[in-house]
Formats: sequence, C-alpha cells, structure tokens
Amino acid sequence: MLIGKRRGWEIAERLATPEALMLGRRAALGGALAGGAALAAAPAQAQWNLFGSNAASNAPPVVLKPLTAPRLDRYPAGRAISAEADATSYNNYYEFGLSKSVAGAARALPINPWSIEFTGMVEKPRTIGFDDLMKQVTLEERVYRHRCVETWAMTVPWTGFPLSKLVEIAKPTASAKYMVFTTLADPKTMPGLGQRFYPWPYTEGVTMAEAANELAFITVGMYGKTLPPQNGAPLRLTLPWKYGFKSAKSIVKVSFTDKRPVSFWEALQDSEYGFWANVNPTVPHPRWSQATETLLGNDDRVPTQIWNGYGEWVAGMYTGLTKERLFV
Amino acid sequence: MFLLNSVASLVKDRRGRFSPLRAVTLAILCAPMLQVMVLAAIGGLGGRPVMEATHKTGDWAVYFLLLSLGVTPLRAVLDWQRIVPLRRMIGVASACYAGVHFLIYCLDQHWHMLTVASEIALRFYLTVGFVTLLGLLALATTSTDRMIARLGRRWKKLHKLAYPLTVLALFHYFLQSKADVSAAVFVAGLFAWEMLWRVTPHAARLNWWPVPLLAFAAAVTTAAVEFAWYGLATRIDPMRVLSANLDLSYGPRPAVAILLAGLTLALIAGIRRRWRQRGGVAMA
Ligand code: HEM
Repeated sequence: MLIGKRRGWEIAERLATPEALMLGRRAALGGALAGGAALAAAPAQAQWNLFGSNAASNAPPVVLKPLTAPRLDRYPAGRAISAEADATSYNNYYEFGLSKSVAGAARALPINPWSIEFTGMVEKPRTIGFDDLMKQVTLEERVYRHRCVETWAMTVPWTGFPLSKLVEIAKPTASAKYMVFTTLADPKTMPGLGQRFYPWPYTEGVTMAEAANELAFITVGMYGKTLPPQNGAPLRLTLPWKYGFKSAKSIVKVSFTDKRPVSFWEALQDSEYGFWANVNPTVPHPRWSQATETLLGNDDRVPTQIWNGYGEWVAGMYTGLTKERLFV
Repeated sequence: MFLLNSVASLVKDRRGRFSPLRAVTLAILCAPMLQVMVLAAIGGLGGRPVMEATHKTGDWAVYFLLLSLGVTPLRAVLDWQRIVPLRRMIGVASACYAGVHFLIYCLDQHWHMLTVASEIALRFYLTVGFVTLLGLLALATTSTDRMIARLGRRWKKLHKLAYPLTVLALFHYFLQSKADVSAAVFVAGLFAWEMLWRVTPHAARLNWWPVPLLAFAAAVTTAAVEFAWYGLATRIDPMRVLSANLDLSYGPRPAVAILLAGLTLALIAGIRRRWRQRGGVAMA
C-alpha cells in the first residue's frame, strides 16, 4: 500500500486553501464584510432543532485569553489551517446538545475553578487545580489534522503539552495498562445529560503505550487563545491519528487501570465506534465509506490517510495486535 | 422541467381561476428550497454547507411526503374539502426535494458518479434511499394531467406506492442517524398517526372522539418504534429510553411531541366543529 510510506502528509498544493483566501471568499459572499466568517456562523447557530435543546445559554459570551506558545514544526500538517470560525462553530459536544451548533449552549460550561482528579492505579490519588497543573508544564503549539468519524476534517493549531507529561505528573503505578479520561457531567449546565439513557459521563481511554506516544497531546488552547468551551475547555485530549471522538473534552478525571475501559461511544454502539478507532480509509464505517473526508469551510474532498497520515509516529505501536479491531 | 408546468397554471384551480390557497401552498413548498439557497449564498450553512443542504432537503422531502399522505385525514378531521387538490402539488414537491437531495449528494462527491454508484451499492442506507427516490420520481412523472388520464384506474393503484415508499424513506432516515434517532422517530410518529387514522372504522370517523384517541395511540406507537430501534439497533437499554418519556426536563421526547401535536389537532378540529355547528362560514 502506498499510504503510510509517505513522510508526513503531503497533499497537492492546489488543495491547500490558505486561511486568508478562504475567509476572503466567505466575506465576499456575505456582503464583503470583514467579519464575514463570524456572520456566516450565526444563522447556523439559530438552526431549528426539535429534539435536544441547544439554545444559547444565558451565560455571558466567553472571553478567550491569549495563549501563545512556540510552534513545533516536527509534525507538518501539509494543508491549510482551517478557519477559526469553522473550527469553533462546528462541534460535537453531546453534553450541550445533539446538533453541531453547541457553541452558544456551551458558554455555560463552568470552567472556573477547574480541577482534575487522578485516581485508580496511581501512587497517590489526588486532585490538582488547573492553574496548578499549568505551572508544571511547558506549552507548545502543534498544527494537527483532525479527522472525525463522520468524515469531516479540519486542521487546527492546538496549544498544549504532551500527554506523557500528564502521565508523569499523575504518577501511575507499574500495573497500570490503560489511561482513562472522564469529561465533566454537570446536569446544571449541560442540558444534554437529560438524555438519561446515554452512558454519561463521557469516558475515553488509551493504552499506556498510546499515552506515551509523542503525538498524544493535552490541549489547553487553539488559534493562540485559550480553548473555547465547545472545543473542550479548559483541557482536552488530542489524538490526531484516531477518530475525533477518542479525544475527550473538558477532562475532570484521569484514572489508570489494568482493565480495558468501555468508552462512551463503545457502550452505545461497539460495532461502529470501538476502543481503538484508528483512522483508516480502507475500513468503512458500517454505514458509510471512510475513504475521503471533507474539510470544514470549503467542502474540499480529500483522500483520507491511514493513521490520518501519522503512521510514521504511531503505526509501530500496533504491530502484533493483529487480533484487535484497530480501525473501528 | 415538465414536472413543474408553469407557476401560473399551478396557482389556478380547475376552473382556471386564481386560487389563493394554491398560491400559499406553492409558496410554502418553495420556501425551504429558497431558504437553503439563500443560506448557501451568504455562507450561512455552517462548517459543512453541502452536508447541511443534504440534511435540509432530505428533511423536507420526508415532511412533504408525509404532508401529502396527511391530506386525506386532515380533510376529514378538519372538514376541509378544498385541500384535496393540493395533494398532487405536495407530492410532486416531495419528489423534487428528494431529487435535489440526491443531486446535492452527487455534488458532495464532486460528481464522481462512479463513487456515487458504488456508494449506493455498498451502503445500505443509500441503497434504501435510492430505491425510494426512483419510486418517488415514478410517482411524480405520472402526476401530469395527461398521465393521470392515460392511466385511469391504474393511476390510483400505482400511487398507493406512496405508503411503502414512505416506509422506505423513514428507514433511510433512521439508518443515517448517528446515535440519536429522535427526529426520525418523530416523523415515524406522524406516519403512525396517518396509518392509524386509515384503519379507524369509517363510522367512527364521524365522531369527535377518534381524533384525541388517535393522538394517544400514535404516541404509544411512536414510543414503541423508538423502543424497538434502540433495542435492536443499538446497545442502549431500551427500557431507559422508554422511561425517559416520563421526564420532560430535556424538552418533549418524540412520543410526547406526537401526543401534543395530536391533541392540538384534536383541539383545532373541535373548535372548527363547534364553530360550524353555530353556522360559521366555511373556511377557505
Ligand atoms: C439516491 C438517493 C439518496 C441518497 C444518495 C441520499 C443520501 C443521503 C445522505 C448522504 C444523507 C446524510 C447522511 C449523513 O449525515 O451521514 C441523507 C440523509 C437523509 N435523507 Fe437521503 N438520500 C437519498 C434519498 C433520499 C430520499 C428519497 C429521501 C426522502 C424521501 C431522503 C431523506 C433523507 C433524510 C430525511 C435524511 C436525514 C436528514 C437529517 O438528518 O436532517 N433521502 N441522505
């Protein structure tokens, strides 16, 4: 197979739409307004949604703080960065509603104060405040490709630190085999939890090898600012070689275990959303093809790459795991 | 564009007079398409405009299909004879939306028709959608005055296909849903109401009470459909879905929405009945 041998993820130059150009095109369409992209997102927010309230919360607009860090060029994205307005307005965050327009509802996310609990197979269970954690890490920026299992994709400059650093801080014991992430489940601010039959809270997990992989990232910002709520503020997982649902948002708990966790989506439908969920264009979702993906904002359709193009860094972890459903 | 004669003839009644009711209906039928076009033009369809347009046109194909099947029961329940000639226009509109929905899908595939064909063959939900589309187009093309005259009694038989086609369209809707099938379940509930009305004995239809009764029966059917779907197609515990119907804090669930819609209709029908008995003028 040709895929996977290529270094990084190079695509034809003509496929890469510079952000400025894209914004420009939109602005022209929207009536030559400078804030065209932002305007464009507005009607989509007001979408008619019969089931699952995704009304904007009463919470005031979220003010994102600047958060800059040196950009790491070791993992070239090979394609243009998505428009910020798209990456922050087209989101899956079921706790806040089932549509993609959850940004308004997510404003209620109570991120201040925030703490993260370390439990399970750790040397000493404890809870650490978010600000405290931030003092112990060095931030960097990485531009990663993001591939959703629903076949859309984006390219985002994330700010954060390697997941391995979080492991180091949490201090798991030697018997730990899996790292499990739990998203906040706050019925007061998250209307989606009213869908009681879902297996809340949202949980996701990785093997310790995956957690140690250099690509695995804990994200606290994007586009040079702190994370917006709908993208998983204040901190989230970012695993660029896996389908997006693996990258749990708004993490409140990190636990270590020797039993493979059953994640949120796996509990809902293990035949469609498994534990591994590594990107692979040749393994279709039971209901649709994964061969190509559309880029947010301009509807370009580009071929999907195995491991989302990150094979060179991650494929080695999976040799020998031939019995596992690595791509579901 | 032989499907869409001219707008002028569409808004005239059989005797060739301008019909406000037909004009309003035509405007309603066109409005969603215009909305999609305007939103597309101003970039208001969000991050994935083509997919959003696919969803919107698919939704309206189904809504109008159900509306066309609802004409007969609504005529009886609301005692509103003049809506009957609207049915053809509504049905054809549904087929048009389904056609546009398909074309947008082709656009989404960048007109790689080989991919479109293989996807239709490979993905069950697309196969179901395709069969539905062929059926709807067959019904639409046989809906010209000439075809109706030519087919005579066979026309009626042929157009009974609208029922199985609706079932297929709903199946496509369910199959394409991600985890949440609420929207599809709600539409299935509307269909259930229509089917339950059809099996209501003719004698009973003359009374007022079948309408509120139907609201409850359709709501129960809706809950049953939802229960069955979650039970058969997902790992979600269907009992929890069923009991969630009693909790309204998250907004009405599909079965509850069907109940409310059915009761609202019963209320309107009741008011109309009273009004008529008092000698009110016939509604347009
Ligand atoms: C060849 C024919 C068809 C194709 C290729 C097709 C394709 C699609 C696709 C790609 C989706 C979106 C799936 C996703 O989000 O992943 C969809 C959704 C849908 N389609 Fe179709 N479809 C076809 C025929 C039909 C017909 C005939 C109807 C109705 C009469 C219909 C009604 C719908 C509805 C209601 C949805 C869901 C919209 C929503 O969730 O808001 N489709 N279809």
